[in-house]
Amino acid sequence: MSYAADTHAHDDAHGHGHHGGYGGIMRWITTTNHKDIGTLYLWFSFIMFMTGGAMAMVIRAELFSPGLQIVDPDFFNQMTTMHGLIMVFGAIMPAFVGFANWLIPMQIGAPDMAFARLNNWSFWLLPFAALLLIMSFFTPGGAPGVGWTLYAPLTVQMGIGMDLTIFAIHILGMSSILGSINIITTILNLRAPGMTLMRMPLFCWTWLITAYLLVAAMPVLAGAVTMTLTDRHFGTSFFNAAGGGDPVLYQHIFWFFGHPEVYIIALPAFGVVSQVIPAFSRKPLFGYASMVYATSAIAILSFIVWAHHMYTVGMPVTGQLFFMYATTLIAVPTGVKVFNWVATMWKGSLTFETPMLFALGFLFLFTLGGFTGLVLSLVPVDIQLHDTYYVVAHFHYVMVAGALFSAFAGIYFWLPKWTGKMYDETLGKIHFWLTLIFFNMIFFVQHFLGMAGMPRRIPDYPLMFETWNKISSIGAFGFGLSQLLFLYVVLKCIRSGEPAPQKPWEGADSLEWTHLPTPVPYHTFETPPVLK
Amino acid sequence: MSKNVKTALVLASIALTTFCGIIAKYWLLNS
Repeated sequence: MSYAADTHAHDDAHGHGHHGGYGGIMRWITTTNHKDIGTLYLWFSFIMFMTGGAMAMVIRAELFSPGLQIVDPDFFNQMTTMHGLIMVFGAIMPAFVGFANWLIPMQIGAPDMAFARLNNWSFWLLPFAALLLIMSFFTPGGAPGVGWTLYAPLTVQMGIGMDLTIFAIHILGMSSILGSINIITTILNLRAPGMTLMRMPLFCWTWLITAYLLVAAMPVLAGAVTMTLTDRHFGTSFFNAAGGGDPVLYQHIFWFFGHPEVYIIALPAFGVVSQVIPAFSRKPLFGYASMVYATSAIAILSFIVWAHHMYTVGMPVTGQLFFMYATTLIAVPTGVKVFNWVATMWKGSLTFETPMLFALGFLFLFTLGGFTGLVLSLVPVDIQLHDTYYVVAHFHYVMVAGALFSAFAGIYFWLPKWTGKMYDETLGKIHFWLTLIFFNMIFFVQHFLGMAGMPRRIPDYPLMFETWNKISSIGAFGFGLSQLLFLYVVLKCIRSGEPAPQKPWEGADSLEWTHLPTPVPYHTFETPPVLK
Repeated sequence: MSKNVKTALVLASIALTTFCGIIAKYWLLNS
């Protein structure tokens, strides 16, 4: 989407380099600037990514060989639990909130987020939640070893680490809800004159819909863990069968949050890719309106498919059929999106810089993850594959090849705009290829393990699974090391990158590229641009 | 009250109602 516009006076000469009243660490603690807060979210996300990644290394080291070598089974369970929680709530979600903070005001021509102080608070809640999660390892009994889904009745039996985790989830949820309220208010009320909803870059649309999902879904998770807390300490029996409660009720409530959560992660990833692919195809996004409608359809459908995660708990066949058909229906709007991305590239003038490579990696691998999701949506198949490594492979294709690849695409794409410097293209491409190869080494083979019957969340396995597990573990170590290269590329860019032109990507056409200098000034669009 | 505050209050009330509603449903109605 391109904008013919009055382009003068948006670079805010007096604002460049002005960081308010504080310097040093206090600048970051007290900042209300959306760009600062976006940067904080992104670095926090990276730290959590490395922390959760270290836990994945422990998991894969233990699974390198059959038998128990490195950690005891209880600690292994704590690792799988914390890896999931940290990656979902600490790494992926904050990464895309970081993108939202940086980009939404600039893409809609707003000076900042609607509630700048609230924005600061939304971020600074996160480190305390992360601290609670990490502290749970040092409590009697250690961190909860119940899986990231926190299923009852195990959660009712865990030690004090479970309480810390519940409070951490409360804080993370509060941060997400406040952030979402801020994003929705900003998009609805602060768009520049002429920036109608249907002219917004698709990234803003995907975040608008995601924010509504968060407002609707996060309180459900907060309710579930609060009920777990009262079951543990206040004599209720929501989920405790011994007191007349129902553990399966927890699963229903959790997945009523959990499936929208998948799209809370995926939709902003779609938004990033929808910015990157047109830029490197030098064509407008194909089917913009249908992309908006498809995103909305995915969001609505995400609320009526939750029980496909729990076909095996025992439910009426009509219930299984409903959730199976509803789930397969999601393939339609998702297919529209994939078609539109491919059609955008069709007859485009394509180049393959690092952001485009990651976007294409996303396109191929996320589609594969979506396809295995379709396989798992079929009740007779899922009953065989439930809780096997096939499921682990499936959701890592969605979460890593989907969300993480998209985040990498976005970081390489906007890094020149954010820092004013170009990253090392050769190293970026090496990072992509290493990540792609090692990712498939880890997770493609896990499909075979799952189909052969290897269950997830176990530290030991029969000898027959050894070869694929070894390949998967070697891939994991390579994948982890490759991300150190990513850190090096980013730091090298910040410290000694070549100066970036205003618009390094020829096909990029949203306001941050067309109306703002590179690097972007500290304050932007204090006078809204007039779009024609 | 500004338009921004009104929007935020509507959204916050949706979140709060959902949170309280889900607990109340299983606390009061299923007991």
